[in-house]
Amino acid sequence: MSTTSPAMTAPEAGPAETAVELIGITKRFGAFVANEDVNLIVKRGEIHAIIGENGAGKTTLMNILFGLLQPDQGTIRLNGQDMVVGDPATAISAGLGMVHQHFKLVPSLSVADNVFLGMEIRRNGLIDHTAQIEKTRELSERFGLKVDPEERVSLLSVGIEQRIEILKVLARGARTIILDEPTAVLTPQESRELFQTLRGFVAGGMTVIFISHHLEEVIEVSDTVTVLRHGKHVATGPTSELTKADMVRMMVGRDVSFDRRPREKSDGKVVLDVKNLWARDDRRLPALRDASFTVRSGEVVGIAGVAGNGQTELAEVLAGLRPASHGSAMLKGRDLTVLSTSEIREAGLAHVPGDRLVRGVDGNASISSNLLMGRQDKAPWSRKGILDWRAAATQTVEMIKRFDIRARGPEDTVKRLSGGNIQKVVLAREFTNEADFLLIDQPTRGVDIGAQESIHDEIMRQRAAGRAVLVISVQLDELLTLADRILVMFNGRIMGEVEGGSADSERIGMMMAGLEPKNVSDEVAS
Amino acid sequence: MEILSLFNVALLVATLRMTAPILLVALGGSFTTKAGIFNIGLEGQMLVGAFFAVLGSIWSGSALVGVACGVAAALVFALAFAVLVVSFRANEVVVGLALNILAGGMTISLMKAIFGTRGSIVGKGIVGLPKVQIPGARDILGSWAPLINGFTPMVYVAFIAVPLLVLFYKRTRLGLYIRVVGEKPEAAEALGISITRVRYIASLLCGLLAGLAGAHLSLGYITMFTENMSSGRGFMAVAILIFSNGNPLKVLAGCLLFGFADAFSLRLQTFGFPSYLILAVPYLVALTALFALSYRSRPKIIRETLESMRKLLSVDNKPAEFGK
Amino acid sequence: MNDKLRAFSGQLVAVLIALAMGAVIIMLIDESPIKVFMTLMRGAFGDQAKIAGTLLQTTPILICGIAACIGLRGGMFNVGIEGQLFLGGFAAAWVGFAMPLPPGLHVVVAMAVAVIAGAAWVSIPAFFRTRYGTNEVVSTILSNYVAVLLTSYLTIFLFKRPGGWSETPPILASAYLPELFAFSRLNWGLIIGLVLALFVAWFFRSTAKGYSISMVGSAPKFAEYGGIDVKRQGFLVLLASGAVGGLAGGIETLGVHHRFMEGFAPGFGFDGLIAALLANGSPIGTIVTALFFGALRNGSLLLETDTNASREIITVIQALIILSVSAQVLMKRRGDSTAGERRWKF
Repeated sequence: MSTTSPAMTAPEAGPAETAVELIGITKRFGAFVANEDVNLIVKRGEIHAIIGENGAGKTTLMNILFGLLQPDQGTIRLNGQDMVVGDPATAISAGLGMVHQHFKLVPSLSVADNVFLGMEIRRNGLIDHTAQIEKTRELSERFGLKVDPEERVSLLSVGIEQRIEILKVLARGARTIILDEPTAVLTPQESRELFQTLRGFVAGGMTVIFISHHLEEVIEVSDTVTVLRHGKHVATGPTSELTKADMVRMMVGRDVSFDRRPREKSDGKVVLDVKNLWARDDRRLPALRDASFTVRSGEVVGIAGVAGNGQTELAEVLAGLRPASHGSAMLKGRDLTVLSTSEIREAGLAHVPGDRLVRGVDGNASISSNLLMGRQDKAPWSRKGILDWRAAATQTVEMIKRFDIRARGPEDTVKRLSGGNIQKVVLAREFTNEADFLLIDQPTRGVDIGAQESIHDEIMRQRAAGRAVLVISVQLDELLTLADRILVMFNGRIMGEVEGGSADSERIGMMMAGLEPKNVSDEVAS
Repeated sequence: MEILSLFNVALLVATLRMTAPILLVALGGSFTTKAGIFNIGLEGQMLVGAFFAVLGSIWSGSALVGVACGVAAALVFALAFAVLVVSFRANEVVVGLALNILAGGMTISLMKAIFGTRGSIVGKGIVGLPKVQIPGARDILGSWAPLINGFTPMVYVAFIAVPLLVLFYKRTRLGLYIRVVGEKPEAAEALGISITRVRYIASLLCGLLAGLAGAHLSLGYITMFTENMSSGRGFMAVAILIFSNGNPLKVLAGCLLFGFADAFSLRLQTFGFPSYLILAVPYLVALTALFALSYRSRPKIIRETLESMRKLLSVDNKPAEFGK
Repeated sequence: MNDKLRAFSGQLVAVLIALAMGAVIIMLIDESPIKVFMTLMRGAFGDQAKIAGTLLQTTPILICGIAACIGLRGGMFNVGIEGQLFLGGFAAAWVGFAMPLPPGLHVVVAMAVAVIAGAAWVSIPAFFRTRYGTNEVVSTILSNYVAVLLTSYLTIFLFKRPGGWSETPPILASAYLPELFAFSRLNWGLIIGLVLALFVAWFFRSTAKGYSISMVGSAPKFAEYGGIDVKRQGFLVLLASGAVGGLAGGIETLGVHHRFMEGFAPGFGFDGLIAALLANGSPIGTIVTALFFGALRNGSLLLETDTNASREIITVIQALIILSVSAQVLMKRRGDSTAGERRWKF
């Protein structure tokens, strides 16, 4: 990598002092390289942060370390010894413990039952709840993780759930603890308590590996930082020698082609006007909080943010797939929050969904059949309620050509196509129905580079045609390439707005990490 | 006055008696429900249980051997269900229905082949289960004694099974794992608990109790087998399982409701109500409960009020302090 | 085309496996499988009257099968066809004997009332299924028992033929569904069934509504996203399925029995469901599978007299066929663990 920084020397560590050494790890998923020749050396007794953008390969690397994935190449050395970590059990017996991003707790069980699940304490063949509660209390006190061992998990907050996950790991005797984005789900207070706990761990001779996006936190808590970008190892160095700006530069990477699309300035009229929009997630917790923004015709507005910060809920509310709990979203004067999905489509929405394979297509059906969705009552696809499959085939062939879909023909089954071509089927359907507002969720997720280019071309063509485009993406590069304006979401709220042209990725990165919130109360008042 | 005379000890006794078979089969289904399997095949398992209990009883001259045969047959059906649903990942509704149909056809075919009769097996040396006499019950409880005395063994088994199952789910490792596999399979997987094995065990435990329920039908109060004698009790059990979520105490409550409906409607019959309508009462009770409880658990749309928004915002403003 | 061929050969293998297992069971009850098979063939196709009898048995299985197909294509498991059949049968009989109308019109009205009765009977489970997510499998199964008892009650307590045995008075001749041949009770019901199968197949392939319903059945989230009202379509699908179930009952009454009697058409609803499952939800395929099951059923009448086997042995074989069809998913699974789930969802 051409990027260098003042603190670029890889630390030399003797075998006895290292808890974990990963050397030359490479992992491919098909054509996609998730990790390429990655090195990671973690000293005993340190908090080691691994940072990088979405898709930089952090989680893959940790899954390899914990035995959930097998590397294609590379060596794993734990406590100075070469190991083959074939499964999590091996990792656990070597003193590793992992706290996943998504908790694996059983809601109806008590805290103690969850901590000891799989290694129950039994007396006379029956589970000894009293002993489990005692031991949990003991662990909780020893490590300063305050929980009530008898409480049911379903009644607890996310922060406490995380403590339980950590207690689970501790109860299994872990000396090195891996935390995958532990603060993504925590409130700032909870995060601070967590950091205190982690410092307690290392003070007691344990080791912590900590994956994060939040640079502020990384600086606050970690001793050493390793930066990954696009699956490659960029740098490792002591945290104290790095500034936030250094880290952002290494994460985003100036050398990465930053190919902003040329564009004419346009000041079209407002097509979508969202005001104070609120919505709840599937657990009925507020997930979208007071979002207000507009999208004009001939404009691409990007929504940036770490996945799970309310973007999905925003898209679903706009598409009529989730009820709004407050607020309005006017599309050319009609309020989407009170319309049904089909009425919203009539009103002028085209929607490229984020979960393409579930919502975007019927994988078992043909391309024509997929392109037919939404047009089953429209000529030339059908006449008086009767489908014209021959006309549909003609239309399909045309769209296959226009959108460069690599398929055997209109009758080809969609699930046989590659991810990029499936996405093109969705685009072909949505971009050809003359809607004024295009809602595009993750335009190129799981799409190969070549197809990415042509999808971006197509979006820019739609912009030029005067459509109002809202692009939601977790890939910042993509938004910097496409968007006229970028809104950053964090914890369900829009933290701020950045002009696309002057896009300052550092500032965006900070807002994505929950810093620099704009004054919400002002906006409510207006 | 006449209606009031319906409510007496005898009605309660009849309720307990009617509750037993459906309670047994529903408790069996609680294993599969808790393990996350929708088991519509209870009906068939119960039916083969009833049939083979009669066969075993005739062949051996022992009610106990009969019960064992019934249980064994139900276990075979449960195993077939598990193989297809758990290992082959076939659709559980299709497999369950097909096994029910198989049970119906097979029992009738075997009846014809073995006894040369259609309709029912009566007499032929079927040995029924004895009534249990608890010594001293009459002296202590007087006229209330029939409430605990003189039932066939399966009635006691059914009611004793309830606290045992509560204990099982709470205090045993297997019970715990069954719950975990049904509620959060990814948690089980992460801890190295084999989902397949736990589901197999749950299916077989289910077959065990369904077989006992079947044996109770044919060797309990009446010692005979008739075509399709389970008459939908397995399906009612499934309805109870849907709204009790397999919780043994709720299952007991639901089954008592059915037992009471059964006993009460039989009483009504003696007052001259048409038997066909009265026979429909338990099914109607099941349907009503199913509909009413799904109405209650419907998702409600939340509209944010100004107050709740202010609350959420004030919680939300805290990130502003972060890092200062 | 290739896919269809593979699916068809898969079903065929499943049937053969089930027949082999059936043969083993027949041997277990001390009877020769070959003799049973020959008896079945003779009973089903032995002479002109036997063939007509087979077609007569095929008719209600076919129509119930179409009812099941409609449900399956829309993602709904209507296990209550049996009950809808009974209600439709009774309703048609009631119009037939209690409501004198001119010939021609009488049949049509009687069938229309049967259709309405079937749809009405499924409407409550359908409402709760689509509105509140109440499991339709359990609610429709339970409503079968109520339907059978209710029609028995109506027949025996309210409309019993004086001096008769648990049956209604005969319907008026003006309500008879015309017979096709002099030598058999085979009637226009078969033609109605075949036309209906072709119509439903065409409906799903070539109409906008049929497309919407198929999408709700095969990819509900996609359908919802595409602006199809999933709940409404689901409700209509169950209603249509129930209506066809009612029609099957009406045709049995008006074409075959000319009265309603207790237990007048046992098991046709379930046979239809199995036929539809075996045909993978295809109405045209259901014509073939219904004929197969009709032949088994008609042939089985001879089993009772000529062999030790009872006619229910064919129920055993049918169940084994469905089990082996559901199991064969594993044999040709292509690394997709949800293949088994998807298979019946269409």
